[in-house]
Amino acid sequence: MNGRFFIIALHEGGRVREETWRLVSFARRCGVADPVMMVLSDEGAIEQLADELAHRTGLDVAGLAGSHLREYSAEAYIRTLVPFFRDAPEEAHIVTAHTSRGIDFAPQLSAGIDACCITAVEDVGQGTFIRSVHHGRFRAEVRADRPRVVLTVLPEAFAPDDVAPGNPGKVRIVPAGDISLSTCSRGARAPVHANMGLTRAEVIVSAGRGLGSGENIRLVTMLSSLFPKSALGATRAVCDQGWLDYSHQIGSTGNTVSPRLYLACGISGAIQHLAGMRDSGMIVAVNTDPCAAIFRVAHYGIVEDLTTFIPLLVDRYLRGE
Amino acid sequence: MKILVCIKEVYDSPETLVFDESAGRVTFGPHTVFRMNRYDEYALEEALRIRERLSSAVVDAISVGSPRVSRIIRRALEMGANHGIHVQTPGETCLSAFERAHLIASAARGRGYDLVLAGVMAEDDMESQVGPLLAAVLEYGCATGVIFEEISADGGRVAVEREVEGGSRECLTLALPCVLTIQSGINTPRYPALSHVLRARSSELECIEASGLAAPPPTQGLVRILPPAQGRQGEVIEGAAVEKADKLIRILREHSLLPR
Ligand SMILES: Cc1cc2nc3c(=O)[nH]c(=O)nc-3n(C[C@H](O)[C@H](O)[C@H](O)COP(=O)(O)OP(=O)(O)OC[C@H]3O[C@@H](n4cnc5c(N)ncnc54)[C@H](O)[C@@H]3O)c2cc1C
Repeated sequence: MNGRFFIIALHEGGRVREETWRLVSFARRCGVADPVMMVLSDEGAIEQLADELAHRTGLDVAGLAGSHLREYSAEAYIRTLVPFFRDAPEEAHIVTAHTSRGIDFAPQLSAGIDACCITAVEDVGQGTFIRSVHHGRFRAEVRADRPRVVLTVLPEAFAPDDVAPGNPGKVRIVPAGDISLSTCSRGARAPVHANMGLTRAEVIVSAGRGLGSGENIRLVTMLSSLFPKSALGATRAVCDQGWLDYSHQIGSTGNTVSPRLYLACGISGAIQHLAGMRDSGMIVAVNTDPCAAIFRVAHYGIVEDLTTFIPLLVDRYLRGE
Repeated sequence: MKILVCIKEVYDSPETLVFDESAGRVTFGPHTVFRMNRYDEYALEEALRIRERLSSAVVDAISVGSPRVSRIIRRALEMGANHGIHVQTPGETCLSAFERAHLIASAARGRGYDLVLAGVMAEDDMESQVGPLLAAVLEYGCATGVIFEEISADGGRVAVEREVEGGSRECLTLALPCVLTIQSGINTPRYPALSHVLRARSSELECIEASGLAAPPPTQGLVRILPPAQGRQGEVIEGAAVEKADKLIRILREHSLLPR
């Protein structure tokens, strides 16, 4: 990669978020050993965050500080970052994580500095970037046609970089002025749908849109009843339809689980769903579509129509086969 | 209050796509059917609910694409949108979010929209960029992944909750005009009412040629479409359905996951 390489760290509650370390290994994957770490916060928190970055990575850190950055908002980030990068060298890669925040500010940042923006990057080609498209069925290799490139990188595609550095990097705190924002942050609300039953279950039988109707929930309920210590999971699509309530949702905006067995029934395997279950001990998928992305994380795959296969499976088990 | 909803046409099922690996291209197959991007349906529904709350609101629906795209714009009218705008491209063109956002911005500029809604993501390209890019071009504020919204009584601000990791919510208030990208589950999209279906039949869509709109050169190019990454080399259980069931039971027992 030509030019400078900047990593915008994500943080919460005064600590750097784990995705940030994965961005460092993404930089190495791009052949960049010395990216500049960047972090944005208010004066009270910036030094601790910048120090954490400098010590953990050994890389130089630029901390942008201003009272408007006390709480996250896309507007605060963009109005701080756009002037900063307008003055930076033309050729630059600016990288952050593909999380709810990264994807919130990255496109607007790119527009402000006439950059190309590529989201959900999961691999690197010959000067190109690779991302999943079409429900994870294919990947697209994309070329940037601007000297400045903003990327959101899928955290799970890269391991956290754990190289213990010799010396901490240099920290530079840059006052970003005090910008008055038109957005007003009003804090956060805890998830309403946390489900302890799911996190404790040894076996999760999980339902996807492939169930076809709310009535067919009885199929997964029946299957789940064969296992002691089991619970029902679901994709967001199932909860959106009202087939199960949101406390069953598994994925990036739902529960994260890692049971001994995860039985995925009629689930396509979208990245947002995989984010909540990919560490399960054993994954078994039942799906009519042999190319469904879920089969690429499954230990065992069964290409069958669940509406006939689940009753058959239950029947064979109860008969003692 | 003037509301614009950005809607995209997507294929119904990815199984119908045809992949030419040597050419690095994916095309629609003979059995491909098209529908509105689901996230955009939630956006449209939210706009209609805002209109029901605020008596004087108007809802326009806009889409960029081939002549076929007019069908989902009609669908938006059937659901209850007041007016449909079609930014027409010649034939099947694969546009990036950047190009779509600029075309929509060119068409929308000067029309005084107070609120622009879009789905949080397109199901096909999965870029999640049209909404925030459009906001940047129009110089509007923006919030993504919105799961709750409430417009202030004076119509000057909107309180939103953005859904973030683990289902937590970030609460913020934005000044209008702004762009919100809507997360699924915020509402339950309605089925078209007969009266709207009849009205939609006789409504004219406003058609704008994309070639006549100002848009900067694309920021990126598609080099090629690749097969998916290998992933875990799991075992596909083969045989007749009964054999598959028996094999799975055996495997689960061997791992002490099913009682004997
Ligand atoms: C910001 C954001 C956050 C998100 N967070 C989450 C999240 O936390 N959790 C989550 O799950 N999703 C989440 N999503 C949604 C996600 O992108 C997918 O849309 C969703 O996971 C798809 O659910 P699904 O697999 O049930 O449905 P689909 O993708 O529609 O898949 C249905 C599958 O069923 C198969 N099928 C159909 N009929 C049958 C049959 N008879 N027998 C067997 N198989 C059959 C099909 O082949 C297909 O593979 C999020 C999306 C966004 C944009």
